[in-house]
Amino acid sequence: MTKNKTFLGVPVARPKVGFFELSSCEGCQLQLLNNEATLLDFLSLVEIVRFREGMKEASDEYEIAFVEGSVTRADEEERLKNIREKARIVVALGSCACFGGVNQLKNRFHDLEWVKKEVYGSFPIETQEVKPLSAVIKVDLEIYGCPIKKEEVERIVTALVLGEEIHHPQYPVCMECKARENICLFDLGEPCLGPVTRAGCDAWCPSNRLGCWGCRGPAPEANLTRLQIIMAERGISQERMIDRLECFGGFAGFVADIRVKKEEAK
Amino acid sequence: MLFKVFPVGELIRLFEILSADRIVGPVKKGEDQHGHSLYDFDVVHDFAELRLDYTQTIHSAKNYFLPYREDLCTFTFQDAAGAGGDETGGSGDGQGRPNAAGARDGGSGDWQKEVDYGVYAPLVLFGLHPCDINALNKLDKVLLGGRYPNPFYGEKRANMFIVGHSCNPQPFCFCKSMGTDSAIRGFDLFLTRMDDLYFAEVLSSRAFHLLEQIDCREPDSREHRRYLNEMAVKESLFVAHVDTSDLTKILDLEFQAPVWKEWGEKCLSCGTCAQVCPTCYCYGVEEHVDMDLNHGRKEKKLYSCNLLDFAVVAGGHNFRPESHTRLKYRYYHKHRGFVEAFEESLCVGCGRCGQSCLARITVPEVIASVRASK
Amino acid sequence: MKTELDFIQPVAGEQFEYSYKAEITNVYPLTRMEKLYQIQLVDPVEREQFIFRPGQFVMLELPGIGEAPFSISSSPVRHGDIELCIRAAGNMTRFLDRVGRGTRVGISGPFGTHFPVEKMEGEDILLIAGGLGIAPLRSPILAVLEKRSRYGQVDIMYGARRPSELLFGYEYAMWRQFDVGLNIIVDQEEPGWQGPVGLITELLKQRIADSVPDRFREQTSVIICGPPVMFRFVCDLLISAGVPVEKIFVSLERRMHCGRGKCCRCNIGSTYTCLDGPVFDYWSVLNLKEAI
Repeated sequence: MTKNKTFLGVPVARPKVGFFELSSCEGCQLQLLNNEATLLDFLSLVEIVRFREGMKEASDEYEIAFVEGSVTRADEEERLKNIREKARIVVALGSCACFGGVNQLKNRFHDLEWVKKEVYGSFPIETQEVKPLSAVIKVDLEIYGCPIKKEEVERIVTALVLGEEIHHPQYPVCMECKARENICLFDLGEPCLGPVTRAGCDAWCPSNRLGCWGCRGPAPEANLTRLQIIMAERGISQERMIDRLECFGGFAGFVADIRVKKEEAK
Repeated sequence: MLFKVFPVGELIRLFEILSADRIVGPVKKGEDQHGHSLYDFDVVHDFAELRLDYTQTIHSAKNYFLPYREDLCTFTFQDAAGAGGDETGGSGDGQGRPNAAGARDGGSGDWQKEVDYGVYAPLVLFGLHPCDINALNKLDKVLLGGRYPNPFYGEKRANMFIVGHSCNPQPFCFCKSMGTDSAIRGFDLFLTRMDDLYFAEVLSSRAFHLLEQIDCREPDSREHRRYLNEMAVKESLFVAHVDTSDLTKILDLEFQAPVWKEWGEKCLSCGTCAQVCPTCYCYGVEEHVDMDLNHGRKEKKLYSCNLLDFAVVAGGHNFRPESHTRLKYRYYHKHRGFVEAFEESLCVGCGRCGQSCLARITVPEVIASVRASK
Repeated sequence: MKTELDFIQPVAGEQFEYSYKAEITNVYPLTRMEKLYQIQLVDPVEREQFIFRPGQFVMLELPGIGEAPFSISSSPVRHGDIELCIRAAGNMTRFLDRVGRGTRVGISGPFGTHFPVEKMEGEDILLIAGGLGIAPLRSPILAVLEKRSRYGQVDIMYGARRPSELLFGYEYAMWRQFDVGLNIIVDQEEPGWQGPVGLITELLKQRIADSVPDRFREQTSVIICGPPVMFRFVCDLLISAGVPVEKIFVSLERRMHCGRGKCCRCNIGSTYTCLDGPVFDYWSVLNLKEAI
């Protein structure tokens, strides 16, 4: 690594980067290690000072913190605030960090003590309502997906190092699904959240004939009203749709709206 | 135009002669939940895969001449390491301008650019229906015409051999209304199935010589009549219609019609219609830098005027922020703007957009509703 | 088969993805947001042959970062040694903001229509700019000043949000030396501002009130650039004062990716802002849905 690297004459620093995990499967971090071909380039771009999945050493000096997972315990809140103080840029890595992810499914049970008892029995464990990072600290950048897409992270990290702005696609998954010339899952009788979910995954699931579960959260101006009609027209029950919308937490606001309307209808 | 006839059984020989080049044609991709076959264009390796009896493909063949994604160029960067960092800047230039303070000397931020039009081998499009041939003719006008022809498209077009095939109008087909139900140019060979015979329209010398290699002859007058009869039968099968009379004026008059908002509320702004459309050609550009910072590329991605940020300019102003304004724009470009520029619509009536639209927005219904505006 | 595919290859600088290699020779900060970039085509022959007219634009490419259209702000006499006034407002321009002298960029063009200043000779000229709209207008301003004796009364009206956002302030004295009426108005005062406060339409109303009506109707050509809201108010005033719509010229802004009528992003109906614009006469604008 040469000192004073430049790009178009602009000096490019090699930022110190730390990876952190709250409540999660650490699958997003694992994704980053998955492609050995680009790992060295990744390391030439950033200096990794902390990465539990990949190294033993750990330092507390970092500019960019990638935080995976959701907040489910008080000590995690403290840890996260601590990370926020140290890092110039905090990146929410993956759907758990962005929306609460699969973990937040338990939030739909209002009686958390009951949940604890059902899951852990008499084992003593501290667990609270699941929150995304943004409910605790200011998050500078969100990288969506369950798991995240390695290529996308690499592109975003490159852009961060160059000091570029990060723009996520403003359109739903359908756009990318059609570009891959897939058969529409609805034609196969399967529900799919592709029409309302933010693209950027290159229609990963629909290309494997799995309907989208909305892990990247809603596309801006997502037309949920129309999606409900589409599902109903095709005989897909509202409960089945809500199950999907609830899975990763990105659609929490919409789900609440639907439930309120449902109650009103009763 | 020259006409030939040959027995249906000879088609495989034609295919095999052409298969020296890459052949793209309709193939069966699967079945929907009701057991209906779903077709798309794909590379065909075996004649048996070719499904010339296809109803309509889900997508058009445009991936082969307007790819969904294409690199426009690649860059190699030659930043000299260690350059940069001179913060002193220049002095005033004697014209009373402010000093160029803060303008750091950029050192040698140099780069090389390489452009590749992405054409490596000839391509045979085997089995295009008239709507898709006419779609190419329309794209030629806008992409090859004017002062700045697009070589990425032009080179692919120039390397293309097109075998058209007659179709059976589907309930959603409205090509007849758009005047694109038959193709009079833009192909090398057009085949109309007449039971045991193919009636061939020969439009290029290459097609002429191709037919010399199979069992083929001049049609007689009886076969002329059979051909015309086939045409008449096809004509009678159309169900969907679009009234295009005075449409450009009606679209202008009904620009503020409330019905646009109704369609806008249905629209998912997902871009599906544009992706499956054989004539939608607009694109966006993304630039990427490799992680080694030594290479980069500029990538073109087909876009859609229905997408939220289609008309956003720097600073954030969106010229079409609401979904109905974007949907309306799509109709204005296809059915009014293009007509004004080229005296024909950009829509070929293939019906794919309506078939793929989950919100069930179809061209015949949208136009009928606008025409019916009070 | 009559081949319809024999397309004409355009000249080098117009070809798709061809860009002239150019160097940023100087960068002048104008305000907190805008800088003036002096950009020179590297090849001396290309530089000499790069002939543009006021109001035309170029595509400026920062390889790997982005490419965007910019109206040329400098005088057309200077050929391939151009100046672009650029606000750091998007990803590409914010990166450009950090780039220094000596950096190589790509330039393609010039593209689009221009302000027909030569056809306006003998007329009174009204140049009306709002905000960053002064950037495309500086080129016709300089072109008119260079042949000042061929024009009648020349007025520049320029409205900005705040005095600190005024562009090209160092040049106003020079413009005024050419017998130009330069009137500036701001939305919000700042300490030290002694000029008027209000909307640009007030300057225009004053100019119309001061004019000889017949002369204003018959001998005035107008060049306008500014934010979309400004166009309609200014043009309505001009039309009610009797200026023919075909003598009012505006420069429109749209998103563009190619500059060559192929990406369709700047399309308004049958019109491509890159080919049929960016300079339109107001008659054409009236015929475009949602143009302004």
